[in-house]
Amino acid sequence: MREEILLGNGAIALGLVEAGCQVVTSYPGTPSSEILPEVVRLVKSEKLDTYVEWSTNEKVAFDNAFAASITGKRAACCMKQVGLNVAADSLMSSAYLGAVGGLLIISADDPGPHSSQTEQDTRFMARLAKVPVLDPSNPQEAREMVGLGLEISEEFRVPVVLRPAIRVCHARQNIAFGKIEKNQSKSVFQKDPMRWAATPRFRLILHGELNKKLDQIGEKFEGLSRYNFHNLQPGTSYPLGIVTGGVPYAVIVDILSEEGRSSDIPVLKIGTPFPFPQKLADEFVSACEKVLVVEETDTLIEYLLRDRHKVLGRLSGHVPKEGELVPGVVHEILNKVLRDLGMEALQEDDTEAAELLKTLNLPVRKPTLCPGCPHRAAFFAIRKTRPKAIFTSDIGCYTLGVNLGAVDTCLDMGAAITMASGFYHAFEQDGVEKPIVATIGDSTFFHSGTAGLLNAVYNGARFILVILDNLTTAMTGMQPTPSLGIRADGSEGKAISLERAVAGCGVDFIEVVDPYNIKEMTQAIKKATQYVSEPQGGVAVIISRHPCLIAYRDEAIPEKKIVTVSDDCEDCNFCIDRFECPALYHDQELGRININRQICSNCGVCVQICPKGAIVEVDES
Amino acid sequence: MDSVDIVLCGLGGQGILFMTRVIAQAALDKGLNIMGAETHGMAQRGGSVVSHLRLGQAQGSLVRTGSAHFLLGLDENEAYRNLPFLAKGASMYVNADPKNFPRQEVRDFLAKRNVTYHAIPAGNIAMALSAPQSSNLALLGYFSAFSEGPVSKGEFVATIERLSPERYREKNLEIFEAGLSRGLEEKGA
Ligand code: SF4
Ligand code: SF4
Repeated sequence: MREEILLGNGAIALGLVEAGCQVVTSYPGTPSSEILPEVVRLVKSEKLDTYVEWSTNEKVAFDNAFAASITGKRAACCMKQVGLNVAADSLMSSAYLGAVGGLLIISADDPGPHSSQTEQDTRFMARLAKVPVLDPSNPQEAREMVGLGLEISEEFRVPVVLRPAIRVCHARQNIAFGKIEKNQSKSVFQKDPMRWAATPRFRLILHGELNKKLDQIGEKFEGLSRYNFHNLQPGTSYPLGIVTGGVPYAVIVDILSEEGRSSDIPVLKIGTPFPFPQKLADEFVSACEKVLVVEETDTLIEYLLRDRHKVLGRLSGHVPKEGELVPGVVHEILNKVLRDLGMEALQEDDTEAAELLKTLNLPVRKPTLCPGCPHRAAFFAIRKTRPKAIFTSDIGCYTLGVNLGAVDTCLDMGAAITMASGFYHAFEQDGVEKPIVATIGDSTFFHSGTAGLLNAVYNGARFILVILDNLTTAMTGMQPTPSLGIRADGSEGKAISLERAVAGCGVDFIEVVDPYNIKEMTQAIKKATQYVSEPQGGVAVIISRHPCLIAYRDEAIPEKKIVTVSDDCEDCNFCIDRFECPALYHDQELGRININRQICSNCGVCVQICPKGAIVEVDES
Repeated sequence: MDSVDIVLCGLGGQGILFMTRVIAQAALDKGLNIMGAETHGMAQRGGSVVSHLRLGQAQGSLVRTGSAHFLLGLDENEAYRNLPFLAKGASMYVNADPKNFPRQEVRDFLAKRNVTYHAIPAGNIAMALSAPQSSNLALLGYFSAFSEGPVSKGEFVATIERLSPERYREKNLEIFEAGLSRGLEEKGA
């Protein structure tokens, strides 16, 4: 039997191909990004013909999968939790319309948050849309729930959400492979405009239908003992029981078993939080004097439990309302509750190590752009040329431009542009000409930049937009962008020209520059500044184009430059404060700046930025 | 539930994930179940990288504070940062200068908990073999010399052979061996 150690996202991919899912779409976003590449890997090794695509955004991914589903095929779309916001319009509507072939929406949560702008809970989105949601505790369960979700979707003709949290997506577990076969189903679209193009009058009927489906699914979930179960001993009552699901379930079970408390504190695991298995929960709650709800990330189960007098959790102040429920935190929660109830506490976690750490002054390691990152060069030039500007930015590696003082705002995907026009109009109303420089990545621009840019041009906003085009989606693991003409499976697609897309939004000023050349970049910004304030001016776009160093290891720096710091260095710290390349550091012994050869990428950009000319290129020969 | 819990830490680019993969695969080949947790995304950019590995019977992927049996650190400061994970009687193996490791301030703490520690200049060893990025293999070889944990040296070698890309295979094994012989010397001494 084939067995592999898979990432949770790999286990999900395996579940998809095992279940005969014929269409898988996605927009990358941590922690969901590896699902689609893992599907591609399996499609290739098992010679399947699954259709895969990197869609331009999550809504696009959703709609493509939805259409496939209503031709009778099994389809899935994968995204991160905030991506589901982008697809929310589709999610809400599709709940009413329904599905034909199984339709699974995989939306990965990020309690922590480790790599997201919010800690929002996908289970609430599912509840809001009124679609079932499955909440796996580990990769193996996530893989099984993929099949379950597709089956339920097909049986009840409703989209189903799978919510793996980051500790499922980025967990690794050994998984034995099942049978993988090509699904031969063919697409058939049965026209039914009263459903697929329903007007409000029919929507009311569809809403009623959806409510009935949910009742039936709720019944089914009551008996789904593989994922919803407890370990009550018949006829026994308990002072405390725990209701949990998803990742916290795994943590709780480990702690109780390590502490030898598995039999005196019963646990109810909820694998299908919506529709909620109410009867099962009532049965559990009635055997316990108090129940503690431990769930990530919000309070869905806690809200759904009916006996309010017994419930402890976030609302009672026992569970933190933000942050990840890592084992140490769960241990603390349990102890607080046990003590409050006068029960025997668990072994105390000792805090000495944590106290000790505080005294060690360990270096704070904040995330930073890679050595040689072209974004750094672009930000440096922007900040230098327009020091007083408002810098609106966006989601990607380049949000780290905040370290260079060149990022003031980061709201959501595409907001660099929409906020730039918003700022412009707010100040313009007061007669103030405020310099504004927006930065957005190439992938983010394709994701949600065009509508905002069109709007800005149409409504007469004036600002500089720098598109940081590094020819990849770097942050999430180097997925191709539409401008490359490479598709998710590596096959050739039509390359979309960024310049033409920008021109198509009505922009008349477009300059393409390599930011490694700080002088040219600076000149372009100056020219753009002028254009923005001309009577006939408007939005000026600079495409700052240089490949990402990680994605294009061998090509990104065609001429490697060996750089050194000479004794002319006056230790003014300018390069560290303003340029912050991680390869530059203050050398205590030399009393000046030095270069860490182990991580220097030999890009040579720092030579151009030292005001004293102390960073110099050395002749290799 | 019985599991051997390992925390591996260091900085982005030091090959924590590969080291984790080697241990996990070798353990799986011995019939142990694997659970682990990794860092991806924003958190990976130049910051601290931690990977948790639980071999045996574990439900959750994260190691609880106070319960790691082993700590493998590719960076000295990152090793200190992860001290809270150490269980009583644990062992730590760190890429650091053996003459100055560990820092004075933590010695009492380690002694009180019966934590044994070993330091190897893994970075220098890898550098000397002209593969500065491979301190991970030197550290792993060194660790294997002390025959702690469920995987033996021979099993490590076989796994590295299998998981290394063709063009790095020989180099990887060479660096592993260098770390191993360093450890064996120390053990013998
Ligand atoms: S991954 Fe690429 S884009 Fe991101 S910081 Fe590194 S070089 Fe820059
Ligand atoms: S050449 Fe300069 S800017 Fe480029 S990576 Fe090395 S130190 Fe950093």
